[in-house]
Amino acid sequence: MDEQQILSQIQQLVADIVSAKGAKPGKIDAATELLGGGVGMDSLDLAVLVRELEEKTGHDPFADGFIEFRTAGELAKLYVR
Amino acid sequence: MTAGVGLELEHGDGAPIVATGAALVTRGKLRGYADALLAELRSRSVERALVLSDDPLDILRAVDACDRAGADLWIAHTNTPPQFIDDTLRQFGIGYLIGKLDEARDGATGNPPAARIHMMTSGTTGRPKVAAHSLKSLLSRVRGAASFPANREGKWLLTYQPTGFAGVQVILTALLSRGLIVVPEQRTPAGFYEAALRHEVTQISATPTFWRSLLMVAEPGALKLRQITLGGEAADQATLDRLKAAFPEARITHIYASTEAGVVYAVHDGREGFPSAWLEQPSQGVELRIRDGFLQIKTANAMRGYVTESEQPLLGDGWLSTADRCEIKGDRVYVLGRQDSTINVGGSKVYPLAVETFLLGLPGVAEARVFGVKNPVSGALVAADVVLAPGQDKDEAKTRILTACREGLAGYQVPRILKIVDSIQVGASGKKG
Repeated sequence: MDEQQILSQIQQLVADIVSAKGAKPGKIDAATELLGGGVGMDSLDLAVLVRELEEKTGHDPFADGFIEFRTAGELAKLYVR
Repeated sequence: MTAGVGLELEHGDGAPIVATGAALVTRGKLRGYADALLAELRSRSVERALVLSDDPLDILRAVDACDRAGADLWIAHTNTPPQFIDDTLRQFGIGYLIGKLDEARDGATGNPPAARIHMMTSGTTGRPKVAAHSLKSLLSRVRGAASFPANREGKWLLTYQPTGFAGVQVILTALLSRGLIVVPEQRTPAGFYEAALRHEVTQISATPTFWRSLLMVAEPGALKLRQITLGGEAADQATLDRLKAAFPEARITHIYASTEAGVVYAVHDGREGFPSAWLEQPSQGVELRIRDGFLQIKTANAMRGYVTESEQPLLGDGWLSTADRCEIKGDRVYVLGRQDSTINVGGSKVYPLAVETFLLGLPGVAEARVFGVKNPVSGALVAADVVLAPGQDKDEAKTRILTACREGLAGYQVPRILKIVDSIQVGASGKKG
């Protein structure tokens, strides 16, 4: 998957995770900070997102330790191979 | 009754003690709240009270008034099942409920009260474990941290559950050091960050998971932190390094603590683990040893009061055993994590059995297995395999189960990975594989 495809996966997964909590998901693009106020995600939601991305892409970029990211775009880049 | 001196708050003291949103309450005002409660407890001859609130003001006025009244106090988590609260009220003949609205109840006379403070382990299902403390012993545990110069008049972000052991420690440390307790309006990373900025927080004690999420929302240089403390989970080198880079002025401490033993050790050198030398030479008044790969502790501070089913059993030779596996590498001891079935989700302990019991209590659930799955963000996540009773729509059942979990369990206990399966393997021991 390329960066754009992964980004749209992230958008879909975030929408699923946030609406499953009964909240209204905000719009996100590559520059959106995932834990910023408008998105409605907490750190456990982020943990779920990272796990789902691993399942969808078959790749775990954090296998050797945590890598810093803030935005949806930065996270998407980590899954491109 | 053995009445104490309480928290020694003074009338007219204008220094703020708790900030919630934009609202500030002063120490003098808190003294007034506590006095009103004390008068109420005395006029009703209350011997036992229970506080059920996440507001530090309620917890502090309850602690202060009950100590001065000589009454026993129970501090309950707001997410404890109502049934357990009811049982506790009835079992101990608790005559007063402290919270958003205080409420007198039909108390009963039992054993004479001794101004004990009963704290509970987390546990939304199953019975929480209860440990008894005295205000004196709780205060003596935080006195060291409170007298540290950099903590003087600090502004503390309350990241922990206010009714839990870590939360109460932060509240009391702030109180003793004439500091401010900052409570966020929303317990999300953005909400915590907003509160920290608004009140110019200087001290934050939190789990490594909390720190990783705060680093994701904090603007570099915006927070001027003096003290950074990590606890609840083993601190990893990557997180310690990132904190050092983001807050070069701050002192960074990672601690190992438990309800039974209090703070066992505090490490300030910025490296994960602790010096191997501490196994030979007691540090900070605590002896440490490794037996069969597990960390064991000997401390004079160990809680000796009544505990229902201790998590850290006291061994015959006076040492406390822990479920934390350790490894010695050169001059350092590394804590590898728990070797029991407990799942550590961002510093909160989840007992699989408690979640299994909850799932099995839901209509249409025939069998359930709950286990931890490693995760780079939160350390671990709770996963569950569920077998349905016959004749149910899988998707519908899954939605129904997850909704029930979100309503009946604490956020960290909710299975984030839920699979509907046909069967769950049972091993030779008869236990679920």
